[in-house]
Amino acid sequence: MATLMQRSFRRKPVAAMAHETGSDGEGGGQLARTIGLFPLAMIGIGSTVGTGIFFVMSQAVPVAGPAVIWSFVIAGVVAGLTAVCYAELASAVPVSGSSYSYAYATLGEVVAMAVAACLLLEYGVSSAAVAVGWSEYLNQLLGNLFGVQIPDLLSQSPEGGGLINLPAVVLVVLCALLLIRGASESARVNAIMVVIKLSVLALFVVIGLTGFDTDNFADFAPFGLTGITGAAGIIFFAYIGLDAVSTAGEEVENPRRTMPLAILIALVTVTAVYVLVAVVAVAAQPAAEFEDQEAGLSAILEKVTGSPWPGSVIAAGAIISIFSVTLITIYGQTRILFAIGRDGMLPKFFQTVNPRTRTPVGNTVVVAVVVALLAGLLPINFLAEMTSIGTLVAFLVVSVGVIILRRTAPDLSRGFRVPGYPVTPILSILGCIWIIIDLRPITILVFLIWVAVVLTWYFTYGIRHSRLNNRGVERKDVL
Amino acid sequence: MTLVVGLPRDERATAALHLGALLARSFGDALVVCTVVPPPWPPGMGRVDAEYQDFLDRDAEQALDRAREVLPADIPARFEVARARSTAAGLLEVAQAHDASMVTLGSSTAGVLGRVAFGSVAERLLHSSPLPVALAPRGFRGRPDGRITGVTAAFGASEGSDELVVAVAGVAARLDATLRVASFAVRPRTPLTAGVGSRAEDSVLDVWAAGVEQAQHAVLAQVAGLPAAPAVREAVIGHGTDWAAALEDVGWDDGAILAVGSSTAGPLERVFIGSRSSKIVRHSPVPVVVVPRGAALALAERAERG
Repeated sequence: MATLMQRSFRRKPVAAMAHETGSDGEGGGQLARTIGLFPLAMIGIGSTVGTGIFFVMSQAVPVAGPAVIWSFVIAGVVAGLTAVCYAELASAVPVSGSSYSYAYATLGEVVAMAVAACLLLEYGVSSAAVAVGWSEYLNQLLGNLFGVQIPDLLSQSPEGGGLINLPAVVLVVLCALLLIRGASESARVNAIMVVIKLSVLALFVVIGLTGFDTDNFADFAPFGLTGITGAAGIIFFAYIGLDAVSTAGEEVENPRRTMPLAILIALVTVTAVYVLVAVVAVAAQPAAEFEDQEAGLSAILEKVTGSPWPGSVIAAGAIISIFSVTLITIYGQTRILFAIGRDGMLPKFFQTVNPRTRTPVGNTVVVAVVVALLAGLLPINFLAEMTSIGTLVAFLVVSVGVIILRRTAPDLSRGFRVPGYPVTPILSILGCIWIIIDLRPITILVFLIWVAVVLTWYFTYGIRHSRLNNRGVERKDVL
Repeated sequence: MTLVVGLPRDERATAALHLGALLARSFGDALVVCTVVPPPWPPGMGRVDAEYQDFLDRDAEQALDRAREVLPADIPARFEVARARSTAAGLLEVAQAHDASMVTLGSSTAGVLGRVAFGSVAERLLHSSPLPVALAPRGFRGRPDGRITGVTAAFGASEGSDELVVAVAGVAARLDATLRVASFAVRPRTPLTAGVGSRAEDSVLDVWAAGVEQAQHAVLAQVAGLPAAPAVREAVIGHGTDWAAALEDVGWDDGAILAVGSSTAGPLERVFIGSRSSKIVRHSPVPVVVVPRGAALALAERAERG
């Protein structure tokens, strides 16, 4: 009988993963390397832009003041460093399930479960946050077009003075229905969404510039460096999705060259767009007015132009693009739970597939119910911060994983290697820690409690039901 | 029993006739080759209409003459012109009058050679026919003495799928043909923007395929218990990144046909082709028979009685 220590740090052999996902022959086979530099960068831009930028301003500006512009740059650099590390692990461990699987193969079961706890925040909680943002823009658009708004009672969380955020709940339910039917976003839909998001933001920048007032930059950093990094923590939310580039590794042409370039292009584009939006937004109104402003970008444009239509266009674009983001995020969450269920750490219920729709229906319903409750009952700033800390910690683990894997399996074939090793992963780790420690203490506390809950689940259920139990402890033949 | 062959008045006719001959020879049935013309309008001034009607009749007769030449000599066949408001309704009326067991059609000329493509008549029959509908891929040709040697039942492991397999097993036993249960696993692309890797969908599909494999073996066990079971029975799952590849994956012999059930969403008595069946049919390289649930139930009962 292996000790508890040995059991909880056992690692899943990569060969077993490849077998489960069919990448060793039957049907699946090697994926064709068909994605070039430009499409890959589009995937990165598409999955990053549009989640956070539509609503993080009203949370971040009160924390940092106009210096929020620097927060965007800091968050962007850290996101870029982690994305590069992510790409190396993804290329070394070609399986699905994102950082959970990478951690399982390199760092051991208990770490994988901790990462899973982070991923539930990165996906589950972020889809709730995004849904709440969607409901703000929906209300804005309804108000502009028809002069009717959903009353606060049905469009605000209890903390915001309402009962439940009904539009957010409805959005989550709609997405779940689509996913149960087997909808999936195609490359073309992604491209269309990218265009919509970017043109909406471009419109904001162009029209917003007319209200440019340098007076608003006075008292540039009222809360100093702490404020700037604190805001970077919130803003990190807006960079989630950059890691999607890394997970496409198997299908990328010439990954050694394409991968870092695509991450760089996506990062520079996204950061440039965000900084432009931030500069325009901050210049358009005094920092104090951001607080509690709903559907931020729309509201600012209305204030600048004095007419409702630019705000309506922004709101309409946001509604369309945030819908697709919610769909994709909930989708990702169900597939991560599926992977965990496949490894035995969740009840079998999570990996049953409906023969008719060929989708994990029960799994999707559970995810939808939880996300709908979060979206309906919690305020957006709390959701956004929880998402950020979960993502940061997951990325931190991935960066540590890169270093560990270089030492434990130096000869493993990697499609892509981090340039500037070991500086890059170390900078990535430090960057994550730097941002995390400046988040609100309550966020860190809730996060620790959440991880403890998941680990309790692991030590009471997961460790005994893990599929690795049947194979014994495999510490030698890893990788 | 008889089989009705719906005869269009152009080159499509050959494929439908060859499929009709293959089916008739295998089942020992006779054919009714039928072409439908619109009924006359109420008589009007100038009798222009009558001239048009004459033209239609002549045209139909010519089509039937061509069909006589194409049809192999060993098949007993009658040739008819029916008058009806719509071709689909006309074919069904003729089928009813002859107590036919199936309606056979060719593919639309808009389709790809070697694949089944629905024409307007097929589209209509596939959503309303009380009889099984047989469809020939475009350009289908049978051997002069060809018979059906293997029947593949498309199996979705969902409600109603078992009956179709049992029904097909009974038919295969009568034809002394092999029975194959086939399911098709089309691997959808994982949306890359989700950041869960390119293979997230694969593992879902693998679980699905494992479940289907079990269901396939269960239904084959059921078939083995029939009074007259086909001698050769097998189960396959075709994998592919799209429907065409998944159908190719299982391999098709000469003399193979594919049987597809009708959707549980439609009425019991009639064919109502489902979205998935429709994809299977349209990518089939061999002739397809679409069976209404009512007919499948009746055939299944017959197979179970022996």
